[in-house]
Amino acid sequence: MITYIATDSNKSMFGNLIPFLIGFALLAAGGLSFALHAMYVGHHYTFGTTREVPWGLLVTPYFFFACMATGLCIISSLGQVFQIEAFKSLVPRTVFLAVVTMATGLMCIMLELENPWRVGLYSMLSPAPSSNIWWKTTIYSFFLMFMVFNFLSLVLHKEKQARIFATIALVMVLMGILNMNSDMSLLGTRGFWSENYMPIYFVTVSTLTGCATLLFFGWLSKINGGQQESEERRVTNKAVSRLFMILLFGLLYFSGVKVLGGFFPQATQNPEAMFLLVKGNLSLNFWVAEVGLAVLFPLVIILGMKGKNEVWQAIAGLSCLVGCFVLYYHLVIAGQLIPHYYQYHVVGLPEYYPYSPSLHEIMVSVGSVFFFLAAFVAGEMIFKKISFK
Amino acid sequence: MKKNTINVKELEEKASEDTEGISSMERRKFLGFGLTITGLFLGGSVLSLTSSNPSFAGIRGGKALVADYPYSPHYTMVIVQNHCIGCERCLDACRTTNHVPDGGYRTDILERSVPVSPDENERVFMPILCNHCNEAACVRVCPTKATYKDKKTGIVRMSIERCIGCKTCMTACPYNARYFDEAKRAIDKCNFCVDTKLKESGGKITACAAACPANVRMFGDLTDPETEAYKLIHAPGKALWVLRPEKNTMPNVFYTNASLSSAH
Ligand code: SF4
Repeated sequence: MITYIATDSNKSMFGNLIPFLIGFALLAAGGLSFALHAMYVGHHYTFGTTREVPWGLLVTPYFFFACMATGLCIISSLGQVFQIEAFKSLVPRTVFLAVVTMATGLMCIMLELENPWRVGLYSMLSPAPSSNIWWKTTIYSFFLMFMVFNFLSLVLHKEKQARIFATIALVMVLMGILNMNSDMSLLGTRGFWSENYMPIYFVTVSTLTGCATLLFFGWLSKINGGQQESEERRVTNKAVSRLFMILLFGLLYFSGVKVLGGFFPQATQNPEAMFLLVKGNLSLNFWVAEVGLAVLFPLVIILGMKGKNEVWQAIAGLSCLVGCFVLYYHLVIAGQLIPHYYQYHVVGLPEYYPYSPSLHEIMVSVGSVFFFLAAFVAGEMIFKKISFK
Repeated sequence: MKKNTINVKELEEKASEDTEGISSMERRKFLGFGLTITGLFLGGSVLSLTSSNPSFAGIRGGKALVADYPYSPHYTMVIVQNHCIGCERCLDACRTTNHVPDGGYRTDILERSVPVSPDENERVFMPILCNHCNEAACVRVCPTKATYKDKKTGIVRMSIERCIGCKTCMTACPYNARYFDEAKRAIDKCNFCVDTKLKESGGKITACAAACPANVRMFGDLTDPETEAYKLIHAPGKALWVLRPEKNTMPNVFYTNASLSSAH
């Protein structure tokens, strides 16, 4: 039996949410209009991507949001599928956030395509089972559908049915993670994704970003009056922050593995990219964002506060989210920056291919974040309207 | 009967004189590109290939490899690298014949500065193009089969109306052989002039090969012993290599030098 979260619309720190919804929606539309312009004139003229570095910044929000949705689904399934008491009260909001994040992720990847209108037609008329990208898009689309059914079932108080949808969505999302690994290992022809530990890495980072989202947005929801202080909430919060802490140690371990690869080429399958990341041009971002913001800073806060201060927990969550965004950016970019013929003593070949995101790519990414925020605010309004127990 | 096989263990133990730093592991992977291997030259960095005469079967991980050309005609190109003078006539011919837009290219000439001694480098021109790999990464990753292996010829081709522009194939290709053509709104790449010069010539030659004044690009058919490319590939003792063998893509573009004494 799912326990719904009580809400108190009188205790909102933000008052009326409609101006926020309109503001975020306008900002999202502004950012996303850059995508339409890019689609019209062609990415060659509007994106910083090149023949050599064909995947740019826009792939990052896709991975970021899709993995976040994966993490949120895993966390919601702890309460919904595995019936762990401490996570039960989280279920409706977590399911809702998983829907919103996956929708944002899929929207980002659509906007990254030159011809998105051909996707629906040819992914059905000409399916390619050898393509992990095809599997991933299909799996994530079905995942989204099942999570929407799951949420609707929760709204209609049909917990049994919701649990079935949740179980299917969980299986799909785990398949998505395994697929994400093989998909990217294939791209290992460019070297970076083919490390053996990738499936566990993806589960760890995904669930970590899921926890971070719950800590930060859960706090926002609380100060907005969406969630009342209660013993149940305290227990849930403690469970999430504990899981967050364990996963931070997990990511710390993986960061250590990357550092090892950067210093000792024999310790990695992708020595050039690891060098670039740990000691080369990307190292400042790596140490500040991937190590500092994503792991160490949140870990210090969580260990120091012992799950007692929600504001600091929210800050830790936000810091982790920012750091993980950079982490995904590196996963996409680093391997591509290694020139194809770097072993061939080619005259005039740069040490690394250059890439920097264009205004269009930045605006579309920012637009997608605002799209998520608008959906979150809309969700808060929905949660206030529906009388949960 | 004792077969003339190459022992992988022996291969690993050979003193490495290779100029490209190809490790024994990579060399072992090189064995897997689908052709029968008859010999090992220049300290293991290049291998000699021959037809599927079973008495010359090479081995991979201890098992005999059966050389097999899955297509008919099985188009190939052998680049006689040290003949290239870098005149770029092939590039112009490709551009004109295939209407390649400004800013794009289907083939290119890379200039290399290869160390031949501690204080001496040799300048070498290296033509590059799509390798029409048997295990083409681009074909495997394409979500809509917009890029595919021609069942008859083995040419890696494009069906442009199916291309969604995800650029996964560009990300996957280890040879930088693809670009996005904004006018076509699809990927463009070398297709061995299948719809232009190759068609006009009755399957005999590509535009770049026809334009080359130094006979660098030897286009041919691996199943036709009359073609120059076939003869080069099957010449006993001829050293041939492929680009980036460690990627296991089984390319159909091979490189050689006119004389064995010049290092690639
Ligand atoms: S860009 Fe076109 S050809 Fe390349 S993988 Fe995507 S759909 Fe296939």
